[in-house]
Amino acid sequence: MTATPAIAAAVGDQLPVLEVAITRGGAVRYAGASTDFNPIHWSDTAARAIGLDGVIVHGMWTMGTALRVVTDWVGDPGRVVDYFVRFSRPVKVPDTADGVVVRFSGKVTQVVEGVATVALEATCGDDKVLAAAKVEVRVD
Amino acid sequence: MTISETHVGRSYPPTPPYRISRAKIAEFASALGDANPAYSGETPVAPPTFAVVISSQAWGSLFDDPELGLALHRTVHGDQRFTWTRPLREGDDVTAVLTIEKVRNRGTADMVTVRVDLSTLAGEHVCSATSTLLHSHPTEGAVA
Repeated sequence: MTATPAIAAAVGDQLPVLEVAITRGGAVRYAGASTDFNPIHWSDTAARAIGLDGVIVHGMWTMGTALRVVTDWVGDPGRVVDYFVRFSRPVKVPDTADGVVVRFSGKVTQVVEGVATVALEATCGDDKVLAAAKVEVRVD
Repeated sequence: MTISETHVGRSYPPTPPYRISRAKIAEFASALGDANPAYSGETPVAPPTFAVVISSQAWGSLFDDPELGLALHRTVHGDQRFTWTRPLREGDDVTAVLTIEKVRNRGTADMVTVRVDLSTLAGEHVCSATSTLLHSHPTEGAVA
C-alpha cells in the first residue's frame, strides 16, 4: 500500500458544503453512465404510474454526489471503506433549464483506529433526501 | 408468481466479466461532476459508487426470474450499502453474484434486500453492495 499522509480528523469537524444542481439532462447522463435506464428517471408518465409526482433523479446519483463531500476532503477515494444511505425522499427534477439544487454536508462523528465516520446530510429544499447516511473512511 | 420469504438465500450464477475501462470511469465521474484526479491519468481508479454499474447488472437476474414477478419500472431504491476491500481500477475484470437476503411483503409493496458480491476473475473480493428495493405491486385487478 502506498504511504500517504494522514488526514487531520476530529469529532465535530464540519466538512465543506457542496451544492450541486441536477437537471433532466443530468439525470439522463447519469442513466447512461450508470446503465440504469429505469424510465422513472426520464419519463413523467412512468414516474406517475408508480405514484410519484414526476421524474426523480437516481438515488445513486444522490449517493454518489454526496460522497464527494468526503472524497474532496481526503483526496484519495481509495480511503473509503464503507458507505450506507437510506433514500428517504425522492429528488424531483423539474423540466427546466436550471433543474433543482441539492445541498450536501458532512460531519465527523467518530474517529477510531484510523477510521473516521462521517455523517452526511443531503437536502433538496426542505426535504432531507438521504437518511442515516454514513461513510467510514481511513484517515491514518 | 410473486416474491416471498421462500426465495431468501437464492443466488444466481456470476454475471459475465465486466472489464472496467478508462472511458467508462471518466463518463461516470463526469455524470457526478467529480473532477477528482484519481479518476483520470495513467492508472485511474473508479469512483467508489461505480460499483453500482456492475452490481446492477446482477439485478438483471432478479428481474429476469419469472418466479419472482418483479419489474424494474415498478421498483424504487430504498437503501444502499457498499463495503469495499479495495478500489475498482481500470483493467479489472469483475463479476457479480447476487443473493436474495431478505423479503418482506407489506400491503402494496414488497421490500427485497439483495447482496451483490463483486470479485475479480482471479477471485479477489473487491466490493459488496447491499440494496433494499421497494417493489410496488401491479395495479389492482392485474395479474402478475
